Amino acid sequence: MNTKTQSVGNTDENGLRPTYEELSQNTRLLIRLRWVAGSGILLGVLLAQYVLQIDLPVGALLIVGCSVLGYNALLAFACQAHKLKTTEAAQRVALEQIVLDWLAMAALLHFTGGITSPALIYFVIHAALSGTIMLPKLARSLSVLVIVLVGGLALFESQGWLPHVALADLGLDTALYKNMTYILAVLFFFGTTVITLSELVTRKAQQLRQRQNQVHQLYEARSTFMRVATHELRAPLAAGISLMRNLEQGYAGPLSEQQTEIIHRVTGRLEHLRLVVDDLLTLAASEEASKAQIPLEPVNAREILEKIIEREMPNAENKHVRLDCHMMEDNTIVMSGDVGLGIIFGNLLNNAIKYTPENGCVRVGCTRAAHSIEVVFSDTGMGIPAEDLPQIFNEFFRARNAKNAQIIGSGLGLSTVRTLVERYQGTIALESEEGKGTTVKVVLPLASR
Amino acid sequence: MPKKILLIDDDPDVVLALRMPLASAGYEVYEAHTQAEGLSTVDEVKPNLIILDVMMDTHTAGFQLALKLHGPTAKPEHCAIPIVMLTAIHQTTPLRFGPDADYLPVEAFVEKPIDPQQLLAQVAKLLNLT
Repeated sequence: MNTKTQSVGNTDENGLRPTYEELSQNTRLLIRLRWVAGSGILLGVLLAQYVLQIDLPVGALLIVGCSVLGYNALLAFACQAHKLKTTEAAQRVALEQIVLDWLAMAALLHFTGGITSPALIYFVIHAALSGTIMLPKLARSLSVLVIVLVGGLALFESQGWLPHVALADLGLDTALYKNMTYILAVLFFFGTTVITLSELVTRKAQQLRQRQNQVHQLYEARSTFMRVATHELRAPLAAGISLMRNLEQGYAGPLSEQQTEIIHRVTGRLEHLRLVVDDLLTLAASEEASKAQIPLEPVNAREILEKIIEREMPNAENKHVRLDCHMMEDNTIVMSGDVGLGIIFGNLLNNAIKYTPENGCVRVGCTRAAHSIEVVFSDTGMGIPAEDLPQIFNEFFRARNAKNAQIIGSGLGLSTVRTLVERYQGTIALESEEGKGTTVKVVLPLASR
Repeated sequence: MPKKILLIDDDPDVVLALRMPLASAGYEVYEAHTQAEGLSTVDEVKPNLIILDVMMDTHTAGFQLALKLHGPTAKPEHCAIPIVMLTAIHQTTPLRFGPDADYLPVEAFVEKPIDPQQLLAQVAKLLNLT
């Protein structure tokens, strides 16, 4: 980390720049606010003049209000058009609008009584806003600039270089604008308010940006860890199991019955470990995806399902399990992630094949309703005992009959699937009868057009 | 004359696990342990088949080598050699850790951990020995 940004009071030069998103979001927010402000000036002037009977320079103020709406339209155009693509462009627009607003406010101030105007408070809003979108140094310069602007206006009016618009109806001393003590007092309190507020907001914005960076770095580090862990945990297991299979299948010479038995057991344990590692990493990856709020994207569920079926086909053939697929023709776009959807379908199909004995049958169906798709995996496998059904989605839980049959599994698959289905706003239902088979139905909402 | 198979993998244990069944099936087995060594050994040995690991010196060395051997700019004599790629892509994360299988210029995939019988079947199929 840069040490300069850490030292107190010297963060200006090296402050964290607002990101493009931050700038464009704030600019858009300001544009929305300005529509209200511009219309507010027009309405307020008319209201004050004709309802509250306060005598105002209506014409001039209406021009100010219209100018605000006018340049706001230009700014809105600049933001929507192709121009606002880079951070620099966004920064420039942000600065431009603040300067324009200040000129408009100076005019508003002038026509409502100069230093005696109640509109003076409005400048404070921009002191806060500029702190959120400007670098600290620039925000500070802008605060000084606004104090000079207001001070200059007060000076010009007090010296008669600029005509003073008196608002006698507010009951103020009409000579107040010429009173140096009053001017200096107002400028002092105004100035300190603007600078303090701008400073506070700027610091908070900087802190937020630093936090954001830290979160981003943590997220990156976690992803790197997942990738490294994936490789470092899986590679040695895969190499070890490969060698054990060679021994088991006699490629390293004949073995005694006892040796074969031991090797078979060791391989089984390693296979189990591999499964747990795989499922844990998958679970971690899917939880990571939910927590990191990775935005969902439109994914063609049928395409993913077809890929998964293709992948599991050899697995089913090896086990002599028939795979019946009924897919509809339409494309089925659901808001999800391709990895997550692959995990859902892969786990469910893999389970169905794994728990179905030889010569059994696994059916995969994908149908479309008005606002959702329904993917059903049903098998003629061992099923789940009724007393185990309530816990079947719990992490590490495995049904009694599956454990007894020594079918390896981690008990993480269904829990991962449920996490993901819920993240995609879908539902999952499981029906099973021991000895007959299991049916899992996943319903996912279609992406709205 | 026995068919020649070149193994390109940096993990000696995986190389051994590949070598045992292939040698016992009568193939002549050669080894290389890096991308560069792999490329030079291909020209030297002129193998009938290459078995290639995805991750070696870098995480994508295997993909890069496959592209050099079978990509659009590859030599015709290299394109004629079938490649089997070893993948450790776990079955429940099919798409995450590597490019889509459809885009890879290889003839077949063998999943790690290696099953010797499946490996031999795949190799025999590619060498038209079945």
